[in-house]
Amino acid sequence: MKLHRIADLYVGIDFKYPTMTAQTVKFLSDDRPEIVDIVVWASDESIQNTMKKYPNLTADNCEYLITGSGFYNSLIDFDGLMIHSSSVLYKGAAYLFSADPGTGKSTHTQLWKKAFGDEAEILNDDKPAVRIIDGTAYAYGTPWSGKTDLSINACAPVKGICFLERGTANEIKRVEPGEILKDILKQTIRPSDEQRMDKLLSNLDRLLRMVPVYRLKCNMELEAAHVSFEGMK
Amino acid sequence: MKIKPGYLLREVAGNYIVVAIGEEAVDFNGVITVNDVGAFIWKKLEAGAEPEEIVKAILSEYDVDEKAAAADTADFIEKLRKAELLV
Repeated sequence: MKLHRIADLYVGIDFKYPTMTAQTVKFLSDDRPEIVDIVVWASDESIQNTMKKYPNLTADNCEYLITGSGFYNSLIDFDGLMIHSSSVLYKGAAYLFSADPGTGKSTHTQLWKKAFGDEAEILNDDKPAVRIIDGTAYAYGTPWSGKTDLSINACAPVKGICFLERGTANEIKRVEPGEILKDILKQTIRPSDEQRMDKLLSNLDRLLRMVPVYRLKCNMELEAAHVSFEGMK
Repeated sequence: MKIKPGYLLREVAGNYIVVAIGEEAVDFNGVITVNDVGAFIWKKLEAGAEPEEIVKAILSEYDVDEKAAAADTADFIEKLRKAELLV
C-alpha cells in the first residue's frame, strides 16, 4: 500500500495493474501522517465479481473503477463530492463542464487550451474531486480521470459549474440551482446508505449556495471557449 | 397507505427532491422533484396520515379552500401511486 496526497487528504491505495500504477505516481506522498484519511483497494474477489458482471471490462479497468468508487464514496465524509466533468484550471480558478458521456466535455475544455494557451490546464478530464473547506469550494485533480491520464496534482476554487449541450451557436446562461439538481445528481456517485446520502445532499446544498451554475449550448468552434469563459468569469 | 421504505425526501438549495437508497436505489436511480405542498403531503404520509387528515392539515397550513386542498392531495397521491412509491 502506497500513501498519496489527493484532495488535501492522505489516501492509501493498494494497486497492481498498469492504469492505477501510472496514474497515482504524481500523487505519491513521502509524509508520515498520524492518520490516513481514506484507504482504498480492489480485492481479487471484487475484481472478479465486477468482471463477471461486465464481461467487456479488464482487470485493469475494474481496479480503476473499484478504487475510484471507494475514494469518491469516502470523499463525501470529508465535505466533498465527485462531479463527473472535465475541469479546466485558468487564472487561479477551476471551471467544471459536466454532461452525459459523449456530449463533448473534453472537447470543450480542449478548446479552452487552444483559446487561452498554456495558461489553461486540464485539472481533471473526467472526475474532479470537489471539497468545501472553510466556506470555499475547491476542485482537485485525482488519479481517476477517465480514459486519458489528463489530471494534475493541483487545486483551485471552483468558479462555476456548467452543464453543456451541443448547439449550432454558442450561448451561456446562469440558472437557478433547482434547474440543474437532477443533472448534478446524475453526474455524481450516489451512496446507497442513508447516512452518506444525507451527507452528500448536505454537501451539495452548501456547494450550490456558494457556486453559480450555468447551462451552455456550444459548438466546436474556438468561439465556444470565449463564450463560456466570458459567461462564467 | 404509506411511503415505500427506501425513499427519502430532502431539501437541497431550496428545492425538495426524492431519492432512493439501499435496494431501492438499484431499480430507481433517478430524482423526483416535489413542490412545497407535495413535500408537506409526503411528510404527512410518512407519518401515516390518511388523505382526510392531510386535507385538514393543508387547510390549517396554507391559504387554500377545501376543494383545492383535496384536489392537491388526490393528485399528489396519484402521482406517487403511478411512480410506485406507496405501499
